[in-house]
Amino acid sequence: MIQSIFLTGLGGQGVLTIAGILADHAAEAGLKVSLFNAKGMAQRGGRVTSEVRLSRDPAAEFGARISPGGADVLLGMEIGESINSLPFLRPRGVALLLEHAYVPAETILKKQPYPSFVEACRLAAERTGAVYPLEKPESPYNVFALGVFAAVVPVVQEDLAFYSPEGLERTVAGRLKRGLEENLEAFRRGCTYGRSLLERF
Amino acid sequence: MKRLLIGNQAVAWGALRAGISVAAGYPGTPSSEALTELLRYAAEHPESPYVEWSVNEKVAFEVATGAAWTGKRALATMKMSGANVAADSILSVAYSGSPGGLLLYVADDPGAEAGMPEQDSRLFAQWAGLPVLEPSTPQRVYELTRLAFELGERCQLPVILRSVTSVAHARSEVEGELDYVPLERAPAFTKDITRYTKAGAAICIAQHEALLERLQVVERAAADAGVNRLAPGRERPELFVVAAGSLIPYVQETLAASQRFGGFSTLFLESLYPLDRAAAGRMFEGAAAVLILEELEPFVEMLLRSEASRLGWPGTILGKLDGLLPRVGKYGREAIDRGLEALASSGRAARPGTRKPLAPPAAPLPAAPAGAQVKHPITFCAGCPHRGTFMAINRALKKIGRDRDNTVVTGDIGCTILGMNPPFHTCWTEVSMGSSIGLAQGFARAGIEGPLLATIGDSTFFHAGIPPLINAVQHGTDLLVIILDNGWTSMTGFQVNPGTDERFQRAGSIRVDIEGIVRGMGIEQVQVLAPFQQEPAVESIAAALQAPGVKVLISRQECALTVARREPPARIFQVDPEKCTFCRACLRETGCPALAVRAAGDKTRMSIDPELCTGCGLCFTCCRFDAIHERSVGGAAAEAEAGGEAP
Repeated sequence: MIQSIFLTGLGGQGVLTIAGILADHAAEAGLKVSLFNAKGMAQRGGRVTSEVRLSRDPAAEFGARISPGGADVLLGMEIGESINSLPFLRPRGVALLLEHAYVPAETILKKQPYPSFVEACRLAAERTGAVYPLEKPESPYNVFALGVFAAVVPVVQEDLAFYSPEGLERTVAGRLKRGLEENLEAFRRGCTYGRSLLERF
Repeated sequence: MKRLLIGNQAVAWGALRAGISVAAGYPGTPSSEALTELLRYAAEHPESPYVEWSVNEKVAFEVATGAAWTGKRALATMKMSGANVAADSILSVAYSGSPGGLLLYVADDPGAEAGMPEQDSRLFAQWAGLPVLEPSTPQRVYELTRLAFELGERCQLPVILRSVTSVAHARSEVEGELDYVPLERAPAFTKDITRYTKAGAAICIAQHEALLERLQVVERAAADAGVNRLAPGRERPELFVVAAGSLIPYVQETLAASQRFGGFSTLFLESLYPLDRAAAGRMFEGAAAVLILEELEPFVEMLLRSEASRLGWPGTILGKLDGLLPRVGKYGREAIDRGLEALASSGRAARPGTRKPLAPPAAPLPAAPAGAQVKHPITFCAGCPHRGTFMAINRALKKIGRDRDNTVVTGDIGCTILGMNPPFHTCWTEVSMGSSIGLAQGFARAGIEGPLLATIGDSTFFHAGIPPLINAVQHGTDLLVIILDNGWTSMTGFQVNPGTDERFQRAGSIRVDIEGIVRGMGIEQVQVLAPFQQEPAVESIAAALQAPGVKVLISRQECALTVARREPPARIFQVDPEKCTFCRACLRETGCPALAVRAAGDKTRMSIDPELCTGCGLCFTCCRFDAIHERSVGGAAAEAEAGGEAP
């Protein structure tokens, strides 16, 4: 059984950092892992995606890329890019969507509409009942979102139960030396927020 | 009119008759005499195309491309290894196509008779996705050169005319209109970044699809023009001899002289790629066995074998892949005889095939969902010095009474190409590393109205921008080149380049100075600009745009992201919501990602994200309401506060 986690956001949000932590943690847990980062335009405010794929079977052969409809979990850190990535989420997969919008200058100048967070969640709900909105997230968003992931995903996705909050926190501590206290604090607040989401949904 | 011409000269006369405006090449055996003949014509006639020996084949192809993109016709000439030098531009231009006829003449050397490698440039054409014609005689060189311009314009693609030493250097009588008839076309280049740049997945995918459609158009057009000739044999019509290009006359003479082989059917191909599937289908319909005669690689053979397989044709194919004939060396009578003998004895048991319709193109795969709905156009980072340069270019154009939509500004590879995106809309083209400078010379030679400006980053300049600049100096082209020097190869992740400060390079590295290189070429109008100092930058660009000759401005300011890695900014800017009228002039002109919209009470106001602002001050130069203010954040103090890297 191969599990797939699709992460998306914009350059500078730290998508690749938390994708790396998810991949490393799975590898440390003895799973076979692949990580694919699409970051070509990251430095210029462009779309960033990370695809984590893993299997408990060390002999399993699988490709690095997630096909449309193939992600068990979608973690979206920007409203527009979350909407763009929804087709990758499998029906009844888990969607963790962060309330943050980067509205391009052209959109502001031409007074074009930009999708709202409610709209993104509504679109996600068309694919799955498991939509977890991360409203008014705390900074740094990426580690906060990782905390939410750690609280929610192991509970609602049996095959990803090895991503425990305690275990992931250890990996975070090992990876994010710079500003460690601030990051661990954000991670724990994310876990708390995630548990509150589980109670609400 | 008749004249004795070698094949290379016949290229020149065919191109003259086709009315070319520009020809550029780099010498290389066995191709050189094509351009020599044109230079001689130009020296002797007041009305002639512009002809130059360029600094290398890549620049030659770019000069020709620039001219053809204005709707005029242009020729580039080179030998096989020269096409490799030009490859970066050839493959890129293939995706854009060309509104005006653009002929690439490449001469190969089977048998290495002229001492050249046995490269088969036909494979190159298939790689690029460009049609290839290979004429069989100097007469056909003349005719197919003219036809190539027609076909190219029909399908909007550059066309490769491939020749070999035996034709390029063969002198024989050429009959035709041997004169220059310039095309009455005003040069006009349409600003369309979806066609003439490569920056963006959607653009690249659409261009790939367009290229494949154009190849289908040219396949039909070449068939309609009767380039390839199929003739049924009288005695053995089920045995086919296929001959490609230069081998055709040798096969003709062998068949004519032989009782045994005289009755074979023939298919003579001078349009080699894309495969003429109509002619191939007619051949397979009646053929029991097919012999393919071509020098060097089994190019036609692979195309015909795959077509036979698709048709389910049951017959026998003889060629190189079955070990009958060699892939090395030039073919003479021996090779042809060996092939014909094998054909004569092979086809007895086989039976002719049946005809099947051409395969329609495959249905496209569902488009990748990424980016389909909400678009985030990429732009310069907050604090990027290129933003200042492109703002200054647009302001300078306005100052001299022109604008970015009537003045061709060529772009180049790297971060600097984002000058094509909103809000700048400055760059018109993006082809390959260094091509901005070569293309601009083509536009100039075609007679595009107004000043010409090429923009290129520092690393791209070192990579491939130096030869075309030398070319402009040598040929005295009026051209302004702006080198956007941010000291790093930034787009790809801040690698060093020869111009990077030595402090950031491996010990012992030596920084190479762009200004010194440029002055060393003999360019006197050289100036270093500071892109965040808008007023002097605009003055300098405006003056340089109006001056004759080759001018170089080096717009120098280190990449904002590499600066930010070392030190926090000493100042940033902020918006006074009381003074801001939300006119959005700052956003409209800078497009800076640090600018955002926020609610101030019941009003909407601009704001500046203090996390992103680097204090470049460009937005400040846009504000007419004194609403943007500088705020000191104390560089060293702020760094101490952040505490640096944890252990």
